[in-house]
Amino acid sequence: MTATSQSTNHAVNRPVHEQTRTAQASGSVHRVQRMRGPDRASKRKWGLEFGHWWWALPGIALVFAVHYMATGIGGFFAFTNWSGIGSFEVVGWKNFEAIFNDPTKIRSLGNTLFFAFGSVLLGNIMGLLLALALNRVVKTRYALRTLFFMPVVLSPLATAYIWKFIFDYEGPINVLLNAIGAGHLAKPWLADPQWAVWTVLVVLTWSSTGFAMVIFMAGLTSVPVEVEEAAAIDGANLLQRFHHVTLPALRPAVAIAMTLGIVQGLRVFDPIMALTGGGPAGATETLATEVYKQAFALGNFGGGAALALVLAVIILFFAVIQQRLTRSNPED
Amino acid sequence: MTQHRRPAGLKLAVLALPTIAALTLVGCGASSDATGGQTQEFSLTFATSNTVESPYEALAKQYMETFPDIKITLNPQPNDSYDQVVRTQLQAGNASDVLVTSPGSASGRSILPLVDAGFLEPLGESAAALVPEGSEELFGPNGEVYGLAPEITVVGLVANDTAITATNTAFPEDFAGLLAQCGPLSEEGKSLFAVAGSASPNTGLLGMQLAATRVYAQDPAWNEKRSAGEVTFADTEGWQRALEAVVLMKDAGCFQGGAEGAGFDGVTKALVSGSSLAAFIPGPSNKQLKSTAEDQDFEVRVLPSEGGPSEDFIYASANYAYSINAASRNKEAATAFLEWLAEPEQTKAFAEIDGALPVTGLEGYDFENSAYKNVAELILENRYAPLPNSEWANASVYDELGSGVQGLLTGQQTPEQVLKAMDAAWDQ
Repeated sequence: MTATSQSTNHAVNRPVHEQTRTAQASGSVHRVQRMRGPDRASKRKWGLEFGHWWWALPGIALVFAVHYMATGIGGFFAFTNWSGIGSFEVVGWKNFEAIFNDPTKIRSLGNTLFFAFGSVLLGNIMGLLLALALNRVVKTRYALRTLFFMPVVLSPLATAYIWKFIFDYEGPINVLLNAIGAGHLAKPWLADPQWAVWTVLVVLTWSSTGFAMVIFMAGLTSVPVEVEEAAAIDGANLLQRFHHVTLPALRPAVAIAMTLGIVQGLRVFDPIMALTGGGPAGATETLATEVYKQAFALGNFGGGAALALVLAVIILFFAVIQQRLTRSNPED
Repeated sequence: MTQHRRPAGLKLAVLALPTIAALTLVGCGASSDATGGQTQEFSLTFATSNTVESPYEALAKQYMETFPDIKITLNPQPNDSYDQVVRTQLQAGNASDVLVTSPGSASGRSILPLVDAGFLEPLGESAAALVPEGSEELFGPNGEVYGLAPEITVVGLVANDTAITATNTAFPEDFAGLLAQCGPLSEEGKSLFAVAGSASPNTGLLGMQLAATRVYAQDPAWNEKRSAGEVTFADTEGWQRALEAVVLMKDAGCFQGGAEGAGFDGVTKALVSGSSLAAFIPGPSNKQLKSTAEDQDFEVRVLPSEGGPSEDFIYASANYAYSINAASRNKEAATAFLEWLAEPEQTKAFAEIDGALPVTGLEGYDFENSAYKNVAELILENRYAPLPNSEWANASVYDELGSGVQGLLTGQQTPEQVLKAMDAAWDQ
């Protein structure tokens, strides 16, 4: 028996955790596996993985108990007629049938999608323009970046109340309109059936623009200055350089900003609740505000849970798309 | 070996510490339960929505002063989230011993659904004696009483009489006169009424007040018929006329500019400034408004009916009640507190603090020197009924009315659509 084989046998007879430690100490698990054959390697691999998994167990248990179990129980109530107190009966798909047979709930679903996609589209366009404008050259760009990012940091509820004051019938916009002799244009912006949705969209866009701007600014750092300069030397104008050099480099940033924005936009609640409460007469109602009203204000917890489940499925759909679009390795 | 034992010891310690802590806590709880008999301490949860003195708090403090060995832990909750908080606490088993509830089934704090879920304790004779006539079914099923009514709340208009006098006109006596007065006031930049169009509870009150003479004065049993399925909102002429009246009032310029988007703050501001003469708010608000504008006189009035003063009809009922949590461990102390509250001195004090009418002794009440002098005749002649929504099937019906009236103000909906939505909510 050679010295090498003796050493190998000795290694095999050692406990798995010691082997693991040895493998880690040597710096490469694969190298150790190659040395000791496939069966033993798989045992060691299992032992190694088991060790890591064990340490994650408390965290996993906590996440399941606090998050998934609570969500699962909430999902169960979607199939009941529970009012929030007392006993309940399982009613099957009745709550879901009620949702899809109720025009007001369908309108809420439409509003939810409109606000999510509208705010993402406008927010991304504005964010991209701001990112391009504040990327280089401008001397005050650092101060301006902070200023434009601030809406993301501020409390959505607090800023919504400020917007509510601005759009109030006796607020600054109408005061200004009256002052310049355009009093006929003054209106209760948040209670006007035609204008309320657009007014809410303005606020949502304002609050999401800073987030998109930051993502695009991060993306712009990956655009090589040399390529831009080369394109300029080749005679490409500003628009052509943006279209053929900057935008292709920004594609991953666009995917992230769009999908994250949609997921955020679908679940938006506090600004709408503070601005309009879903009014006038349900014109700005979304699934999130409906969930709150049904479950907590109107004592229809089962119906509210069903609405929440519908909203969760929609968000999940877009979250999966986001995961697919943003994963770096296609083989993941 | 030492290296192996140390983590094992640590693991044991990590597991043992929380276990010991949990056992200690359980032990403490068990000990508390074991001693757990009746104590001289209990808790009281009530809703609060402004800085004006709460009668619930004031009476509780007075009780503690009268009986120094008793301690009441006060749990004031914001009115906006009160229903949700109380229901969650009752469901979780950690609600206060005494709660403020509402008679009927219209809201999250209503007595009937809470009794149905087994959360409230039946009360005795002293509470039963305070149940206003005609409201018995709102205080509990099968003749039992689960709430102690501390006051009578009149729900009509609260008018700024100082501002009315300043317009050199008298408050209209019938609905036609009301519509006629709206135009000229509007031209002066004022309005007869201030409405919080974005606040469902306020637009709902507007709709219900218009239904007082058109529906409930003519058919006091309308709610029972609706429950039995004999009538519907959409098929009842009185309800149709009530909601058509909202559109008539809007077209006549009876509401302030931007009423459809206004909140309660806008109503307060309009009333106090005198730019609006009256609002559809509960009577006790007169005291809160008076505290804001001491130089002005706020009176409770009735919304003029189509037939004039002889047909006027108003809502008056006990809108809130004290109830005892069925899971309370301090029922004896809580019951003693409610017995004390039911005494005439306390009901009188409660009404005075809140700016409401006392639940007993209305015959001898000095209406002339109160904010209720304009509705004294209606109260004394029994021309009033409880707020109708307290008997409605669920909270969604009133929500549909409130949201629908806002839709009438904005032109989004027709009276027929609103009434059909109310029927659908009732039957859900």
